[in-house]
Amino acid sequence: MNSTKPMHKFREIFFEYVFMFSAGISVLALVMIFVFLFANGMPAIAEIGLMEFIFGREWRPMDASPSFGVLPMIAASIYITLGAMVIGVPVGIFTAVFLAHMCPARLYVVLKPTVNLLAGIPSVVYGFFGIVIIVPFVREISLFFTGGGSGSSMLAAMILLGIMILPTIVNISESAIRAVPRSYYEGSLALGASHTRSVFSVVLPAAKSGVFASVILGVGRAVGETMAVVMVAGNQARMPESIFRGGRALTSNIVIEMGYAEGLHRDSLIATGIVLLVFIFIINIVFTVVTRKSAPSAD
Amino acid sequence: MKKNFLKSVVMAVVLTAAAGIFSACGDDGGFVEGREINVISREDGSGTRGAFIDVMGIYVGGVDRTTVNAEIAPGTSHVLTNIAGDRYAIGYISLGSLNDTVRAINVGGVAATEANVRNGSYPLFRTFYLAVSDGISPLAQDFLDFMVSAEGQEIVERNYIPALESPSPFTGGGHEGTIVVAGSTSVAPLMERMREAYIALNPGVSIEIQSVGSGGGINAARDGMADIGMSSRDLREGELVYLNAIAVALDGLAVIVNNDNTATNLSPDQIHDIFVGEITRWNELD
Amino acid sequence: MAKIMRKITDGILFAATWFFAAITLLVLLFIIAHIVINGVPYLEPRLFEFTFTSENVSMMPAIISTVFMVFLTLIIAVPLGIFTSIYLVEYVKKGNKFVMLIRSAAEMLAGIPSVVYGLFGMLMFGQFFGLGWSLAAGVLTLSIMILPVVIRTTEEALKSVGDGYREGGYALGSGKLRVVFRLVLPSAVPGIMAGVILAMGRIVGESAALIFTAGTVPQIPQTLGASARTLSVHMWALSGEGHHVGEAYATAVILLLIVLVINTAAAVIAKIFTAKGSGA
Repeated sequence: MNSTKPMHKFREIFFEYVFMFSAGISVLALVMIFVFLFANGMPAIAEIGLMEFIFGREWRPMDASPSFGVLPMIAASIYITLGAMVIGVPVGIFTAVFLAHMCPARLYVVLKPTVNLLAGIPSVVYGFFGIVIIVPFVREISLFFTGGGSGSSMLAAMILLGIMILPTIVNISESAIRAVPRSYYEGSLALGASHTRSVFSVVLPAAKSGVFASVILGVGRAVGETMAVVMVAGNQARMPESIFRGGRALTSNIVIEMGYAEGLHRDSLIATGIVLLVFIFIINIVFTVVTRKSAPSAD
Repeated sequence: MKKNFLKSVVMAVVLTAAAGIFSACGDDGGFVEGREINVISREDGSGTRGAFIDVMGIYVGGVDRTTVNAEIAPGTSHVLTNIAGDRYAIGYISLGSLNDTVRAINVGGVAATEANVRNGSYPLFRTFYLAVSDGISPLAQDFLDFMVSAEGQEIVERNYIPALESPSPFTGGGHEGTIVVAGSTSVAPLMERMREAYIALNPGVSIEIQSVGSGGGINAARDGMADIGMSSRDLREGELVYLNAIAVALDGLAVIVNNDNTATNLSPDQIHDIFVGEITRWNELD
Repeated sequence: MAKIMRKITDGILFAATWFFAAITLLVLLFIIAHIVINGVPYLEPRLFEFTFTSENVSMMPAIISTVFMVFLTLIIAVPLGIFTSIYLVEYVKKGNKFVMLIRSAAEMLAGIPSVVYGLFGMLMFGQFFGLGWSLAAGVLTLSIMILPVVIRTTEEALKSVGDGYREGGYALGSGKLRVVFRLVLPSAVPGIMAGVILAMGRIVGESAALIFTAGTVPQIPQTLGASARTLSVHMWALSGEGHHVGEAYATAVILLLIVLVINTAAAVIAKIFTAKGSGA
């Protein structure tokens, strides 16, 4: 309190630098992630050949003359993510609408905490649930429709991820829908529209960028999910054949083989990490574009 | 009024659907022989897979010929769970992990039992190795001596088959410090028991066990990240340049199928053909 | 005619909303019930003994390691996150290039999959800094992983503090630092706490990033250099070896309980927060 002026000034400036330094850590961390992954992964990509690595259809890392093609994993990751979206997005958005505009108060106090609980459950627990419940369920469906299949399949992964992204989509969409001014809804009612129509034709479109943002975050979560997918997807490193058959996601490839890998094999797994980073980077750019568009209406 | 009706209809539909799904899961007829075989293998680099493909002649001329359609289960329990629920699946696990949720198949007419591995009639088994470099610490060497002593081999005896015929009693001890052991998830449970017994004799010692897979353990031992590497497959020539491999136990491999599966016996050739994808349906076996 | 069509689509949409909400609720309750029913019978005292042995497969060391992991990670990430947000909100003008850079970096960090964090942590902390598999490597990796969560929530909390506080402070002749620490930060505490709790949840649930960095040793770590497995990793390990499925379920029950406690705490704090916010 009684500190002299220069001392005071010094402290101000000192802390400003501390804050600035802290802020720089995020940037530094991001740079470090890129540096370490690229330094370890790029030589492998160079040795394998970029085209061979990205478009190679064979992943045989342990053979005497190994091949490292990640196209099967890229394809499986994309299929599984798309499938998860098909399952999770409609359920999530409708549930968000329900929570924001139709849910009786007594049901809300049950549904909302349940959704939050689901958001916090570790992915290992989801994976476990997937093996015991979803895989057998898909096995029956697959036997019925195709006469074969073990259940550990891309469909199982899609269903599981569809469930796992629900909390993300529900929570973010719900707040986007709630952020739409009440006057929109009331105006629509005043014009003679029904409750349902007002919600779907006026409120939901007004919240669309927020809803879209939630979907993109869901995509990010689905692409990045590891443990749960490994446990249910079958993990065959070959081009995906059907949703009733297995496939290996990019994340799974890393976590399955990292423990054993060495030399070029190990570096090629790190290079798989680079492919994942590029995916996330693209998703992030889309996200930024979408949220920036929405910025005026959100404020 | 209409809305309440709709609400109840929707609820009824969902509940019926849920009930329907559950009843569909509980099933109908038994084992249908014409169905496809669902082959379940382990991940590349797993010691269990390494041993299996070596013994079955699936790894030939530097190429692992396991069918690409084989599902990859990242752990013994995933193999067990999948096969316990799938009548048409086949896989392989350590004999020590076998339980009654699945059934082991006879290989060439010989039952998968410890006794049959011991008397040499059952062909599918592997050796658990400890990989150490020449620069091993005295403490780690002492632990190693313990494991191949009479006391250590007695611990092996409880779940596996001792690698040594008549081991001599343990005479070391009196060390303090930390030992890092890394490697095969199959060897880890045995190592855990070894650790407990050794620490009971040498309370000043702590032992870290990392389950990172055979390949990971061998690399860790070579790079000095671990004092002892655990491997559940034979060490490759390139690896033996840096490391010494000490056999500590033998472990049978069981080829397992679902309890409802009608197959009871397969020849080694048939198992080979199934895992390389030349036999794809159960009725092709007869 | 159009009116009837409209009524029908209204009905369909209405039914669809209830239908999907019912599915969500059912699925969620089913997952929780499944875990609880299968796990609770295995919750025996031996699972809570202080030393892990191959016989008792105790989760107690994993619980303690989880507490260590959460505590140490927060010690690093929370101050860093708070300082970053203070800088972003209080010190630089909107539209500043550096701010844009930090924001995009934080957003990017938030999106990176945990398995990539695991690779990075292994390469940088485990190998480059020679930490091997250790609590320290795990803590450092997770600190970076949760940093964006802390930054984002703290930023929101700081922004929601009314400018009246700041202006009042300056009018009384206080320096910037004093205004920030004595006036702005205290009123933002509930919001910051909510972010911290969110981050805790993320640490508790993490497994992919930790397997490569903190390792899988099931003992209580004695030093920062020792390897340790958290509860989530413990569950992954149990579900891999094949002998202990029931115990894995029991671990899931404990994890669920922890998440429940964390969420309740977050809800309570959010309530305090909104009560305060509407009062101001």
